[in-house]
Amino acid sequence: MNNIDEKAKRYNGGWKLFLKEWVILILLLALVLVCSLFLERFRTTNNIMNILRQASFTAIIAMGEFFVILTGQMDMSISSTIGMISIFFAGFVVKMGLPIWLALFLVLIIAVIIGIINGVLVVYGKMPSFIATLVVMNVVRGINYLYSKGLPISGLPDGFNFLGSGYVGIVPFPVILMFIVATILYILTAHTSTGRSFFAVGGNMEASKLSGINVKYIGILAFVFCSVLTGIGALGLTAKTLAGNVTLGDELLFDVMTIVVLGGTSLTGGRGRVFGVVIGALFLQVIGNAMVLLGINTYWQWVVKGAILIVVVLIDSNTKRDIVKTKQKIQPIIMEEK
Amino acid sequence: MISGIQADEKGRNEKAPLIQVKNCTMEFPGVRALDDVSFALMPGECHGLVGENGAGKSTLSKCIIGENHMTDGELYVEGKKIRISTYSIKESQKLGIQVVHQEFQLMADMTGLENIFIGHYTTKSGLIDWKALGKKAKELMDFLQCDVNLNVPVKYLRTAEKQIIQLAKAVLSESKVLILDELTSVLQEKDILNIYRIIGILKKRGMGIIYISHRLNEIFECCDSYTVLCDGRHVKSGNVVDINKAQLIKMIIGREMTQAFPPVNQRFGEMMLEVKGLTAPKAFRDISFHARAGEVIGLAGLLGAGKTELVHAIFGSHKIIGGEIYIKGKKAEIKNPRQAIKLGIGLIPDERRTLGLNMQFDIKDNTTLPSMDKFRKFKIFQDHNAEAKAAFDINEKLELNYYSLWQNVKNLSGGNQQKIVIAKWMLRNSEIILLDEPTRGIDVGAKFEIYKLINELTRQGKCVVLVSPELEELIGLCNRVYIMFEGAIMDIVEGKRKTQEIIINSLLGVSENE
Repeated sequence: MNNIDEKAKRYNGGWKLFLKEWVILILLLALVLVCSLFLERFRTTNNIMNILRQASFTAIIAMGEFFVILTGQMDMSISSTIGMISIFFAGFVVKMGLPIWLALFLVLIIAVIIGIINGVLVVYGKMPSFIATLVVMNVVRGINYLYSKGLPISGLPDGFNFLGSGYVGIVPFPVILMFIVATILYILTAHTSTGRSFFAVGGNMEASKLSGINVKYIGILAFVFCSVLTGIGALGLTAKTLAGNVTLGDELLFDVMTIVVLGGTSLTGGRGRVFGVVIGALFLQVIGNAMVLLGINTYWQWVVKGAILIVVVLIDSNTKRDIVKTKQKIQPIIMEEK
Repeated sequence: MISGIQADEKGRNEKAPLIQVKNCTMEFPGVRALDDVSFALMPGECHGLVGENGAGKSTLSKCIIGENHMTDGELYVEGKKIRISTYSIKESQKLGIQVVHQEFQLMADMTGLENIFIGHYTTKSGLIDWKALGKKAKELMDFLQCDVNLNVPVKYLRTAEKQIIQLAKAVLSESKVLILDELTSVLQEKDILNIYRIIGILKKRGMGIIYISHRLNEIFECCDSYTVLCDGRHVKSGNVVDINKAQLIKMIIGREMTQAFPPVNQRFGEMMLEVKGLTAPKAFRDISFHARAGEVIGLAGLLGAGKTELVHAIFGSHKIIGGEIYIKGKKAEIKNPRQAIKLGIGLIPDERRTLGLNMQFDIKDNTTLPSMDKFRKFKIFQDHNAEAKAAFDINEKLELNYYSLWQNVKNLSGGNQQKIVIAKWMLRNSEIILLDEPTRGIDVGAKFEIYKLINELTRQGKCVVLVSPELEELIGLCNRVYIMFEGAIMDIVEGKRKTQEIIINSLLGVSENE
C-alpha cells in the first residue's frame, strides 16, 4: 500500500470513468460505423478526407475558444474576428500590394490586439466576459464594414490556395495543420506549467492566486490564444475562396461553442481536453456530411446542431454529481462528512 | 398519513421522545455508514451528537430528516412509527423537524424580514401585509431576546446575526425538533454564548435540539445529554453531567489523549519576519510584530479584528497603504502572492474549499501547484514523474489517508484536505508559514495531527504565524500571542500571562487595569 508505484499509477475511477470522459470518441466511432454501413457514398476515401478538411479550420478556432472556456470565460467576438482577419489580409495583399509574409505578420498582430483588448476588459475591467466580448464583436464588425463597405475583396494569389485546399499525398494540408496545432496545444496543456495554470484558474481562481499563479496573465493569455487561433482558422477559410469576406465567420460561433462543449469541456471552467475538441469538431462535421448525403434540407442542420448542444449541455450540467458518487463507491474509507 | 400522526400525538403522554431511532443501519454501496445505532431525543432536551469526521453524525441526522433512507431500523417521531420507504424531507418538515446548517440558506440581497417570512407571507387583499409581518417579526425577536436589524439586506449583517435569522426562521415554522449542524464553527466566543442563550429559550418551550459540534467544550456548556458515534457504531449515550472531557475524548477517538498539545519549541534562530506599522484601510492599523525561526506566534481577535486581512497583507493578497515588512532582516516589497512565495512565505487560508484547494484537481496537482517551477525538464516541460514522487513523499510524511495520487481532493475529509494545503508549502520548503484557522471544521484526531505538524515545522527552524478563534489552541501552541481589537494590537501575552482570562479581556477591548 505504501508503495509509490501503486499510489501514483492507480487511476481513480478505473475504466468506467475513462469511458465517461471519452464518451464522445465512442459516439463518433459509432456514428462513423453506422454511416459507413448505410451510406455508400459516405465510406469513400474522398468523402472522409473531405470531412476531415472541412472540420479542420473549425477545429482550430474551437481549440482557441477552448482555452477561454477552460478559464471559465467565454469569447463571443470570434465571429467578427474571423471577418476582420479575412478582410484585412485580403486588403493588405490585394489593395495595398504588401507581400504575403508581411500581411500574415500584420494580421497576426491584429489578432493579438483583439485578444489583449478582450482579456484586459475581462481581467482588469472585471466585466462579465459575455458582455465584454459581445461589445468587441460589434465594434470589430463595424470596423470590418467601414473598411470593406461590405464587399468581398478577391484576387489573392493562387499559391495561397494551398493553405485551404492543398494536399500532401492524399491528406489535405489543413488536416495536417489541425493535427500539428492540436499536438502543440496538447503538449502545452498537459506538460507545461502554463498549461496547467489554465485549468487551475478555471477551477478556482482565488486558490490559484494564493498558490502563486499569475492569474491575470493567464486570463489574458487565454483570450490571446483564442483570437490568434481564430486568426489562423480565418486565414484557412479565406484561402479556400481566395477572397476576403466580412461575413465569413457569421455562422461559426454557434458551431464552435457546440464543438467545445461536445469535446467534454466544462462550461464552468477547469475541465477539458484538447483532443476532445478535435473529436467534437469531427463529430459535428460527420453529422452535417451525413445529412447532406441523405439529401436533407441544409436548414435542418441548424435544428439538429441546436438539439445536440442542448443535449450535451444538459448532460454536462447534470452528471457531475454522478461522477463523484462513482468515486465514493471505490474508496469508501475516506467518505466525506460535511 | 401526516394528519393521522398529529391527531394521534395528543392522546399520548408527554414523556414520549420527540425522536426515537431504533437499531438504525445505513449502508451506502460498499460502506456501512451507520451500524445498529439507537438514539432518542426528549422534549426540552439539548442532545449533543459527537464523533470524528466520518463517524456518521451527518448521516444520522440525514436519516432523521429523510434525506437518506435507512437500510434497516425504525424511526419514531413523537411516538408514531414512520414508514421509511416514503419518508422525505418535505414530510419531516411538516412533522416539525428543521435543520440549521453553518452554511447560510438565506437570500443575500433580501432583508432579514423577507428572509424570515419567505414562503409564509401573510396577505391582505392579495398583497403582502408587511405591517403585520413586521409586528410578527418583532414578537419573534422579543421572544429570542435578540436585536437584529431586519430591514437591511442580510449580506450586510454579521455572521452571528445571520445565524440568528436562520434560527428565527426555524422557530417561526413552529418546529418541534431543531438540528443544529456545526452551527457555531464559524462563530466567535461571544456569539456562541448568545446561541446558548437562545437554545435555553427554545428548550423551555419544549423543543428538542440535536446539537452537532466539533468543539467539545460546547457539549459541556449547553447540552443535557450526549451520544457518541465512532466509525458508524454507537459508542455510548448518557447525561453530560456524568462524564468529563477526557472521558468524552476517549470515547470519540477510541483511545486516550494524554496530552492535548505537544510541547512548545523553545530553540529559536534568527529573526525571520518583522512587521512594522502595517496599515490597511478598514482592516487594521499600525501593526508591528516579529517572529524568529522556530517560533510560533499567535494572532487572537474577534471576528472583524483584522487578523485574516493581516496575514493576507503579509502574503501580498490584501492591499496595504503603509508600513514595512522585513524578511530575514531585509526589507521586502510584497505586492502579490507570487512575490511572497518567492520570499519563502506560505499561506494556509481559512477557507479550505474556496481558497486553499482546487477542488477539480487531484492530490498530486494540488500539492505541486505552488512548486511547479521546481519540476522542469528542459526548462519548459513539467516532469510529471518527479512531481508525483515529491507529492508522494510529502503526503506519506504527513500520514495522509488517501487511495491514489490521482484522486480528486473533493472526496477527502476536512483534516486530510488541510494536510494537502500544508503539504503544498512544505513541498515548496517555505520558511514562514501563515496559518489562518487551520483547524476549522476538522475533528479532534485530525486537529491533534495538525498541532503535531505545527510543532514539527518549528523544530525544522520554520517560523509560524497562527490565527485561531480557539484560545486553547493559541495558549497551547504559541510562544507569544498578539491580541487584536478592531484592527490594532491591544496586548501581547507570553509566558505566565498566557491565560484565558487575560486574552478574553483584551479580545473584548477591556484593559487589565479596569
